[in-house]
Amino acid sequence: MMAISPGLKKIFNRNINIAPLVVFRIIFGLMMLSSTIRFIKKGWIKEFYIDPKYHFTYYGFDWIKPFQDQGMYIIFGLLVACTVLITFGFFYRISITLYFLAFTYVELLDKTYYLNHYYFISLISFILIFLPAHRYFSLDSYFGICEKKRFIKSWCINIIKLQIGIVYFFAGVSKLNYHWLIEAQPLINWLKHQSDFPIIGSLLLNDITAYLFSWGGAIFDIFIVFVLISKRWRIYGYILVVIFHIMTSLMFPIGVFPMAMIGSTLIFFSENFHIKIISFISIFTLKNDRELEKNKSTLNNSIKPLFRILFISFFVLQLLLPFRYLLYPGKLFWTEQGYRFSWRVMLIEKVGYAQFYIHETLKDRKKLIENENFLSPQQEKMMSTQPDMIIQYAQHISSIYKDSTISTSNGEIIKFGNPPKVTAVIKVSLFNKGSRSYIDEKTNLSKQKRGFSNKSWILPYEN
Amino acid sequence: MGNCPTEVLQLNPMSKIFHIKFKLLVNSIFVLIFFGSTGCKKGCSDPTALNYDSSVKRNEASTCEYGSFNKQSLLLNLSDNFITPSLSLYKNSIDQLVTSTNDFNAEPTLINLEILKNSWKTSLLNWHGICILGPSKFITTDQIEYTNIYPIDTNTVIDNIINEFAPGNNDEEGFQALDYLLFSKTSQETINYFLNNSFATQYLIQIVNNLSGTCYSIENKWNNEKQDFINDYESVATGTSISIIVNSFNKHFEYYIRRGKFGLPLNVFDQFTQDVDPHLVECYFYGKSLPFAIKGIESLKKLINGYNFNTDENLTGFDDYLNFVGAQHSGINLSTKINNQIDYILTAINGLNDPLSIEIQTNKTQVDNAYEKLQQLVPLLKVDLTSALGVLITYADNDGD
Repeated sequence: MMAISPGLKKIFNRNINIAPLVVFRIIFGLMMLSSTIRFIKKGWIKEFYIDPKYHFTYYGFDWIKPFQDQGMYIIFGLLVACTVLITFGFFYRISITLYFLAFTYVELLDKTYYLNHYYFISLISFILIFLPAHRYFSLDSYFGICEKKRFIKSWCINIIKLQIGIVYFFAGVSKLNYHWLIEAQPLINWLKHQSDFPIIGSLLLNDITAYLFSWGGAIFDIFIVFVLISKRWRIYGYILVVIFHIMTSLMFPIGVFPMAMIGSTLIFFSENFHIKIISFISIFTLKNDRELEKNKSTLNNSIKPLFRILFISFFVLQLLLPFRYLLYPGKLFWTEQGYRFSWRVMLIEKVGYAQFYIHETLKDRKKLIENENFLSPQQEKMMSTQPDMIIQYAQHISSIYKDSTISTSNGEIIKFGNPPKVTAVIKVSLFNKGSRSYIDEKTNLSKQKRGFSNKSWILPYEN
Repeated sequence: MGNCPTEVLQLNPMSKIFHIKFKLLVNSIFVLIFFGSTGCKKGCSDPTALNYDSSVKRNEASTCEYGSFNKQSLLLNLSDNFITPSLSLYKNSIDQLVTSTNDFNAEPTLINLEILKNSWKTSLLNWHGICILGPSKFITTDQIEYTNIYPIDTNTVIDNIINEFAPGNNDEEGFQALDYLLFSKTSQETINYFLNNSFATQYLIQIVNNLSGTCYSIENKWNNEKQDFINDYESVATGTSISIIVNSFNKHFEYYIRRGKFGLPLNVFDQFTQDVDPHLVECYFYGKSLPFAIKGIESLKKLINGYNFNTDENLTGFDDYLNFVGAQHSGINLSTKINNQIDYILTAINGLNDPLSIEIQTNKTQVDNAYEKLQQLVPLLKVDLTSALGVLITYADNDGD
């Protein structure tokens, strides 16, 4: 291994107060607790994972299946229990590991519900598995399950800052496109419906506002992390974070994402700030913390070579994923090849309408599939504009009709080919520019390959 | 301009970022120039726009400016000038239907039968004026299917009357059961049937009373929620007034009009059997289906354009909202595109002849053509209109991907 330069040493190997990590653990636990309870209260366990007969699994993860009935409730019960344990730092390593596994399992069940912030939560909870967030102000340290430490190595906190930084920076980079900057799309359309927004409603109707928001949003996303790192400008940066996320949460149905970012970015504040937070919380706990402040014990947890490799690959992968779309021809927003896992948030306005046909090969007669018999409204909506889901659904239909025959009124027995032919007529509108044909209507979708190869049956945007 | 990022595909990722940053700089200058030169000559060829310029021949996309749009005035107009009058018209005709049924029961004469048939026709036409409001919380799926589902299970209706059972399922009652009871025989035979089957009259009264009960519960619901409906104008999120109306007319047109009135009889969804299904048309026994389809589509047109239901005066509607947000389709305003398509549909249907059950066998090409016109409206409503108005058909969070 190369000798670590002083600069890198400062970033990774400096002794630093554990308080920011502890506060992050508590905030993370509480946010995930409220987010999970919100999910349960909305009835989404049943609606998303129990009621649908079919699930859009991720390529390579088809073996991930939902549990029957009670099983999914048990998983969410486990998630709730884990978030409480994480908050209190009780059996922390076990609870954060279980949380990561259970949460990621749920997210992998069906890509219909993919959200960038769920991806973010999976990544953060993965990182947290390796961090000693329970070494202080936790039940683990209180009961002596682990040794209490006041100081840790600085990589434990900077790794979280890096993860948050990647989210913002790439969200910003993804905004550097023609539609966002030059057309102010999709905000120019969305803001038109916000005329009744408190105080600034009438301003939102002005096209210039859409440009200001688009450009402001892009600049904010790209530079906010650098502002938050700077001691001098941090507080102003954080005020911007709060304003930005509250505005977006009032305007768009983006759930817990704004709250998650407002909570997570607190980690950029100083050690003293977090020590004060802990002292403040200590007022409400039984044991006064003052005596513990004399504890100067340091956890000498430099990154082990194995973990160094793990984390480097972890982040390199994250840096590469957003650019994989460059490997595909065509317009990214239209084909959505290489779209997910890239921090592309609120970038496109896209709606589709898909009709699928199952064919019999004898005389090539066809029958319309009624999507509501197989998919939930949410699944149908997401499938209608995303080619990988279109192909999955087509092949699902194909598999259903594989062995069936239909006898007509004149005694004819109709067999389907193997696999039965499935075609689709799909109309999609991108950025409200008029619905147009999305895929080649003659393509037999049941014969197309799933996976990462280019989907040539998507019609070009300019057709 | 051609600043589309896909043009820098060949570059490696890092140089792409710098490339984009450079473009950002160039683009920012471009936008500054754009704002600085708003006096620049560009034209709008839409007569309803504020900046309509008759000398402009080709409409430049999104150069038209429209007056500010007030969502509350849309809801107020829909409430006061469409829903309330349309509902009250239906209620009056249902009251009339109850009266004519009772008169026919008291004196089963040819004249009273004619009056009863006429009030049935009027009521069913007026139902098509209001039913576009469902399925929604205002008119539920159950209420729609209770009132006017077809085909009717005629065997069960006969059995019910013989066994003196009240109507059970939806396909044993409603307007279409009346269609069977009143029109499946000649007038004289019908009268004889009711004279000879004492329970038949009871069954008739039961159906009409149920129709009336459903009508009154729809009206009650509306009266109770009317004010909330008007006040719920701020957002277009799921469950708000605008979202409810857009979802209901979308679903109603796609499912009950396109699919129910033409698609199923034509058997377009299942070409495995090449046969049409004449018995699936609406009002099979009356022998006239088209007036009801036309009434339903006209009602959709009135609703979308915010017409006064009775006078057809063009007031604030979804078309104005679409113009306000600058919704376009293939170079023209989406509102114009939708209205043109509705007119193509009406022209195509007006070119057909009743009975539709015969027409789909003897003149299938023309009926297929009408269906095709109906089908073409679906994506305009379901994709373009919902997208332009920001109305979702989903319940979940959404970060735009």
